[in-house]
Amino acid sequence: MYLNYLASISRYIPELLLVVLMVGLILIETTYAEDDKNKRYIFITACVGLVVTFVSLVINLSGKSEAVFSNSIIIDPFSTVMKMIMVLGTLAAYYLSTFSKEIYETLKTEFIIMAVGILIGGMILASANNMLMIYIGIETLSIISYVMASLKKNDERSSEAGLKYALYGGISSGIMLFGMSHMFGVLGTIQFTGMAANIAKLNHTQILIMMPSFVLFFAGIGYKIAAVPFHMWSPDVYEGSPTPVTTFFAIVPKLAGISALVRVTMIFFETQSPLRVGWIGLMMVIAALTMTVGNVSAIGQKSVKRMLAYSSISHAGIMIAGLTMINEIGIRAIVFYAIIYVFMTLVAFYITSIMQDKYGNDHFERFQGLIYRYPFMAIVMSIVMFSLTGLPPLAGFVAKWNIINALLSAKFYTLAIVLVLNSVVSAYYYLKIVRLMTLKQPESHETIEEFSFINQFIIVAMTAPVIILGIFWESIMAFAGSAKIFIP
Amino acid sequence: MSIYYYLAAFLFCLGLLGTIFKKDLISMLLCLELMMGGVALLFILFSKSTGFLDAQLMVIFTMIISACEVAIGLSLIIALYRKKQTIYTDDIKIITE
Repeated sequence: MYLNYLASISRYIPELLLVVLMVGLILIETTYAEDDKNKRYIFITACVGLVVTFVSLVINLSGKSEAVFSNSIIIDPFSTVMKMIMVLGTLAAYYLSTFSKEIYETLKTEFIIMAVGILIGGMILASANNMLMIYIGIETLSIISYVMASLKKNDERSSEAGLKYALYGGISSGIMLFGMSHMFGVLGTIQFTGMAANIAKLNHTQILIMMPSFVLFFAGIGYKIAAVPFHMWSPDVYEGSPTPVTTFFAIVPKLAGISALVRVTMIFFETQSPLRVGWIGLMMVIAALTMTVGNVSAIGQKSVKRMLAYSSISHAGIMIAGLTMINEIGIRAIVFYAIIYVFMTLVAFYITSIMQDKYGNDHFERFQGLIYRYPFMAIVMSIVMFSLTGLPPLAGFVAKWNIINALLSAKFYTLAIVLVLNSVVSAYYYLKIVRLMTLKQPESHETIEEFSFINQFIIVAMTAPVIILGIFWESIMAFAGSAKIFIP
Repeated sequence: MSIYYYLAAFLFCLGLLGTIFKKDLISMLLCLELMMGGVALLFILFSKSTGFLDAQLMVIFTMIISACEVAIGLSLIIALYRKKQTIYTDDIKIITE
């Protein structure tokens, strides 16, 4: 028994490394915080720690899939790939925070400490195999997020964002627990192992209790993804928080929630049952609503950051649409979409953050005539916007096409049509930025100060996959296809 | 059994409605705790009726985590109160719809 735990720890090294990194960063911060010159130790430690975590995840990828810690955690290629994407997102958001002016210098170290904490929560959620781990994962993710959203201490908007996030989070986790308690009452276990067989044995009355319980259970995860009935917090929090924090929120909690949702779906509904039909129906409605509400609300926005918040809601909807067929093709499409989504979102938020630092706000007018003043930024932003819309030579097209392909192979024509129509709607507000940047005259002719070579290099490095993967996507597709879910 | 179920469900609904409709933040946090209390009672109840102990584990974690959540919420309320001198939700809408 005890040896089992020791053996489990050997598969759990990435998470343990992050815990050590978080503690180490706190210690370094308390020791060296007085002297600004020593800030670079924290920067180096954080980068090295995250890179080492990434490497250990790569090593974990080749090991065999298994359930560790008495079946409460599953280590499989799917969760490992999702964790790798999350670590990359954290690294990029952290780099953005180091040169962003929105986070005070004294709080930059706290940003990375909390980001690592949230990453640990996300990792727990991505490989959770019982209700308790899902709850702990969601709460580890949420509780630190509340603090992180209100990182700008002197700004009322930031505090309000954090408070809103906390209240919505409390309500939705309460609702989720209410659903979980009824699920436990019917099934008699909190473990997910052998769940499909348990569900197949239920009688009519028990199924009637389970159906609303699943809807309530979805509230907790749907809140983290910002799926539509639970999306109200998302634009306010995204707008109120500093941009690096928004970047981070658009990637890590969202992908962690998606991976938990994928795992729950695959484990609970692999066999035919009335519940499976109900769940597919629920997911289709949620996906269609999430896409539509996200895109339609994004149209009238004045702030680019708020527009990106709504657009990230609609992207979550597309990823949920990949879940409706409950098979390998759908999961492959979701993983591929997640990889592309991270790069597109990161570049869009980087540019928005630079504009925000320059002008103090991020309204659409600030982007007018950007191509005359800073061609590099305008070109990169245009590429990303075209990709987010899903225009052919770019990676966003391939990602969307895969989801539609999976939908068509399962004969869900209505949802596929809704998805395509939503792409048309999204073209309006994405291309609005491109139009403002290229066709309008600039507001003033003052030039934007050059940013350093390394920043340009990083932005190009993040844009390159968007272009390259649009054409040469077979290898990444095979990689996403190898990310299989392990059902113990 | 059934009377306790109704009690727990009543507590949960009371907490949920209170969190949604109350206008001051402290009451909202209190209602949140009430909601968690109702859920904890439900877990204990189902643990008793099914005879499995997993749910009692959930109760302990629920209590710990909801305490953390309220502590964070309270500190955020204080941070906002220092700037706005109010705890009523109607007065602190700053982010526009």
